[in-house]
Amino acid sequence: MKQLMRLAVVIIAVSAILLVTISRLNASQGYSGGNTLTVYNWGDYIDPAVIDEFEKETGITVVYETFDSNEAMMTKIQQGGTSYDIAVPSEYTIEKMKEEDLLLPIDHSKIPNLKNIDSRFMDLPFDPGNEYSVPYFWGTVGIVYNSKQLGGMTFDSWEDLWDPALKNQIVLIDGAREIIGMGLNSLHYSLNDTDPAHLQEAYDKLVSLKPNVRALLGDENKMLMASGEVSIGITWSGDASEIMAENEDLDYVVPEEGSNLWFDNMVIPKTAKNVDAAHKFINFMLDPKIAAQNTEYVSYSTPNKEALQYMPQEMVNDERFYPSPELTDRLEVYENLGQENLSRYNELFLKFKME
Amino acid sequence: MDKRLSPLSRIFLIVMFALLYLPIFYLIFYSFNSGGNMYDFESFTFDWYKELFQDTRLLIIVLNTIVIALLSALISTIIGVLGAMMIYKIRSGRTKNALLSLNNILIVSPDVIIGASFLILFTIAGIQLGFYSVLLSHIAFSIPIVVLMVLPKLSEMSPSLLDAARDLGASRWKVITKVVIPYITPGIFAGFFMALTYSLDDFAVTFFVTGNGFTTLSVEIYSLARQGISLSINALSTIIFLVTMLIVVIYHLITRRGRKSPDLEVLK
Repeated sequence: MKQLMRLAVVIIAVSAILLVTISRLNASQGYSGGNTLTVYNWGDYIDPAVIDEFEKETGITVVYETFDSNEAMMTKIQQGGTSYDIAVPSEYTIEKMKEEDLLLPIDHSKIPNLKNIDSRFMDLPFDPGNEYSVPYFWGTVGIVYNSKQLGGMTFDSWEDLWDPALKNQIVLIDGAREIIGMGLNSLHYSLNDTDPAHLQEAYDKLVSLKPNVRALLGDENKMLMASGEVSIGITWSGDASEIMAENEDLDYVVPEEGSNLWFDNMVIPKTAKNVDAAHKFINFMLDPKIAAQNTEYVSYSTPNKEALQYMPQEMVNDERFYPSPELTDRLEVYENLGQENLSRYNELFLKFKME
Repeated sequence: MDKRLSPLSRIFLIVMFALLYLPIFYLIFYSFNSGGNMYDFESFTFDWYKELFQDTRLLIIVLNTIVIALLSALISTIIGVLGAMMIYKIRSGRTKNALLSLNNILIVSPDVIIGASFLILFTIAGIQLGFYSVLLSHIAFSIPIVVLMVLPKLSEMSPSLLDAARDLGASRWKVITKVVIPYITPGIFAGFFMALTYSLDDFAVTFFVTGNGFTTLSVEIYSLARQGISLSINALSTIIFLVTMLIVVIYHLITRRGRKSPDLEVLK
């Protein structure tokens, strides 16, 4: 009994010491002050130095929290009990969040830096007039390939993936819209096509790709590509630039038939407590110099036109990540197709996976 | 011990332990890699450990995780031991079985469902997600484990021991503190450490109930997955592994001492 009591006392003492340490650390980071801004973002999706600078400039302390999927983030906000001031969902989630009435409208008069955003990335179908969202990063879906392993082979179109020489070499991302979209694109249909006949055609086309497909993977494919284990992968441009930095033999291309254009945008959830600070934060992130610094760290493509002049020229001139307007015109943003059509996509994708 | 093992079973044991420990050693090995990835060892470095200790945010998260684990294990042990004693006291076999099954259902029910239910409960009750919501849910899912660890010890105890104590004039309180608790101490320790580990590595439940700047390690590491996990997480895992080893050794020493002494203590 004594022994147990002693243990209990020790545990309480240790916990007390730890709690004090935590609050000290929190205070040293300024997390416990009154004027705080809670940012909910993807893991490792901002340069920590940018946050420091924002705190220094405005005196607002930033509490930074991370999530790993749009769905998880949306559930958290939907349930309430949290008070995130900023969140960074992808475009199709913004549409859903709007439907569920989870977002606050953004006051454009408080964000003068909005003028720095390239007009190509404003007023898109998922949020007309940018009433609820401000672009943060954007990118494409394309082919990453190891030119050295493939003996100098290059890719221009989706069609090239069907080359019988590529038997068992391709790794696909595990996403219904991306893969069915690839099938649709290779047939020159729209990514948002809902015609059942076209979808069936795309499915049949994908099934004929099966001999070349090695696996459908999530994040693991980044490591497999970087280590040279796999020579071709279908993935997002942000992931591509990341693994290309690790392995020089890799190259990325957006096929000429067209592909998906995706966005991660900043929004203010309904649960926000510090709406004023949220506007300040958005405006701060759109500052050309800050956006440039952040882009260099995250290495995704920035929609901020003015930021480009502050970035290394070899990064800006890289057509693979800042494609010409001629190419971006051919790219499509996912539209919300409605539950019925989405189920059809998912069903076809599942069937494809089981084939 | 060794003499009783046939060569075949010895090989089996070695293979089994190798399978269990290889991934951990693989991870530890690469925490010293200067190359920055997990497939290409460049040269030896302590950089990731340095980076780890400079990352205040991560440090706060680690400390949060430990505090939650310690406090939830302590509180759930206290509640669990009391609960186990209550269940032990119930005479009717039917009620006892029913209560035990209810306890077991909580252990086998999926974490995701427990987590989601807690999220709904906290939102309805208007409790802000953060430290307290995580602590409460960890306490809740640890209690059934403690009960399950303590009950066998209680049923192992001979009823005549209690009768003898009462015959000798011990009050109810004395019987509990001088006879029952010393007897079940190993079970209490086992329950405490199980609760501790359950709390440390729980992802599914914690994921639902964290919020407002409060996270634990499992949730944080998971959210790093999109961008690729940095080797400083390997460094952190190495440290945690070593600390865990140390705790297991201490636990082993304590229970060995405990196993020798309870009979003596009871006699005293």
